[in-house]
Amino acid sequence: MTNLKKVLALAALGLMLAWPFITGDYLTGLMTQILIFGLLALSADLLLGHAGLFSLCHASFFSVAAYTAAILQVRYQVPVEVSAICGVLSGTLLGLIFGLSVRTRGVYFILVTLAMGYVVWGIGYRWASFTGGDSGVTGVAAFSLFGFSFSSPKSYYFVVLFVVSALIAVYAHLTASPFGLALRGIKSSEPRMRSLGFNPAKHLYVAFVISSVMASIAGVLYVYFNKFVNPVSASLHVSVDSVLMAIVGGSGSLFGSFIGSAIVLWLRNWVSTFIELHLAVMGLVFIAVVLWAPGGLMGWVHKVTSKSSREMS
Amino acid sequence: MDSFILQTLNGISYSALLFLLASGFTLTFGLMRIVNMAHGAYYLFGGYVGLMVAKSTGSLALAMVSGGIASVIVGQIVDRLFIRRTGEDHLAQVLVTVGVAYIIGDVSLKTWGGDAQKLPLPLDLRGIWELPGGIIYPKFRVLLTLIGILTGIGLWFIYKRTQIGAAIRAGVDDREMVSATGIHVDRLFILISALASFLAGVSGVLGGAFLTVYPGAEWEILVFALVVVIVGGLGSLEGAMIGAVIVGLLDAYGRWLAPELSYFVLFGPMAILLLYRPRGLFGSVHIA
Repeated sequence: MTNLKKVLALAALGLMLAWPFITGDYLTGLMTQILIFGLLALSADLLLGHAGLFSLCHASFFSVAAYTAAILQVRYQVPVEVSAICGVLSGTLLGLIFGLSVRTRGVYFILVTLAMGYVVWGIGYRWASFTGGDSGVTGVAAFSLFGFSFSSPKSYYFVVLFVVSALIAVYAHLTASPFGLALRGIKSSEPRMRSLGFNPAKHLYVAFVISSVMASIAGVLYVYFNKFVNPVSASLHVSVDSVLMAIVGGSGSLFGSFIGSAIVLWLRNWVSTFIELHLAVMGLVFIAVVLWAPGGLMGWVHKVTSKSSREMS
Repeated sequence: MDSFILQTLNGISYSALLFLLASGFTLTFGLMRIVNMAHGAYYLFGGYVGLMVAKSTGSLALAMVSGGIASVIVGQIVDRLFIRRTGEDHLAQVLVTVGVAYIIGDVSLKTWGGDAQKLPLPLDLRGIWELPGGIIYPKFRVLLTLIGILTGIGLWFIYKRTQIGAAIRAGVDDREMVSATGIHVDRLFILISALASFLAGVSGVLGGAFLTVYPGAEWEILVFALVVVIVGGLGSLEGAMIGAVIVGLLDAYGRWLAPELSYFVLFGPMAILLLYRPRGLFGSVHIA
């Protein structure tokens, strides 16, 4: 890391720590959401940015984890800490099953994950006697740990900030490790990696499962923020949005997903204040980003800075 | 036993609808390697246009033609403005066409409202037929099955017996060679893409008469069509036929035996396929 980057990272961390104190509850809540969905985007980007797999089923892990945590706590009075862990485990279990999809590549992978994700949405929506159908599960308690309840938006913000920061550190480590290198090797040339003695299928499966664990953690964080969960959280929109966030911020980078999440969520909140057609506006954003800024914000910054440094030298 | 036969017939008529949608998707993919997620939105748009025409004229044939043509117009605009710019990048195609589907879906919601609407059928199609064995079956579903079968035969003829079909089949195996032999792939693509969106629009009108049209219908039917394509193999017409029958029947039995869990049945064939035949029943090894 260069000095400039270190300064920037420290400044960002300082801002994040001060955020609830310099803003109100509304903006603290928005920032909590940005962190949660940024984490979901980062999990999808482990596959997209590093392994080159475009998954459209990450809402499944997210929502299954959220539903499990909510149902255990609301209906069976399981303690919050235990239901949170069970939530992550059930999302991971689904990841172990859906990980079968790494047997396919390219378009097949996109279509298979989309269809699997839709099955999960359909079950959440139709199996009303268990999942609560359209209205979902309501009345989820605040997150608590050893008897301390994080019920205020401020305190829960710090829980989310802590978990997300820890996961970012793990993610940075993972993607810089030989495993991360192998994933990027598979992305650029699978046959070459195979001829070097790697087993791409195994690497991709492991990456898929790790990615599903991260998405599940995001889902559990979400359910204690939102206090309810309904089939919308399992919908294709959530999966597609998470990929869009990663691309808007810059796929393959560490903080791009969070920047993308901030841009997309802020844009949606802003647009929905004056126009009813906010889904159509999001559609336009999709098209504009893909056609004119495929590298995302980070890619654009990189292009501009590398151009200026070239001019300087 | 009677309900088994009835559910089988229901499944077959749903298969016919799925085939109309899936065949267009798979043929455009085979020829141009284009993944068009807006295909379901063409279904929705065609359905709504057909609904308006059917309400004002009372004619199902007119509704089908106008729904089909409306979808062709939208489809050509989307091709020209957006899909062509994505090149061969599937990620870009998927995101751009999902964006297009969002726009079409949201504008349709604003224009036609959020309630499920049923396309009115002409009087002589509303009745039922009594089949041997005392099974009662709606006439319209018989018509739908017939349209599906006739379209299948028509497409099969184009696919196997004409120059256009030969180019598509060649395109599935080696796209560069097709252009190298002097075939106008671009012009052919306009034709096939128009045919695909026409079929999507027509299926929207037909679907509107028994599944109703409503916001979100575009994704629901698209996912079923995609499972058809995954099971059958991308780019293969035979695959779309067999896949449609499998998915249509499984869906009918699923809804009958376990209505709350009927979506599970979609996962079954996909899981088996992923384990034993990741490219689908008729998938070409050349398609990545």
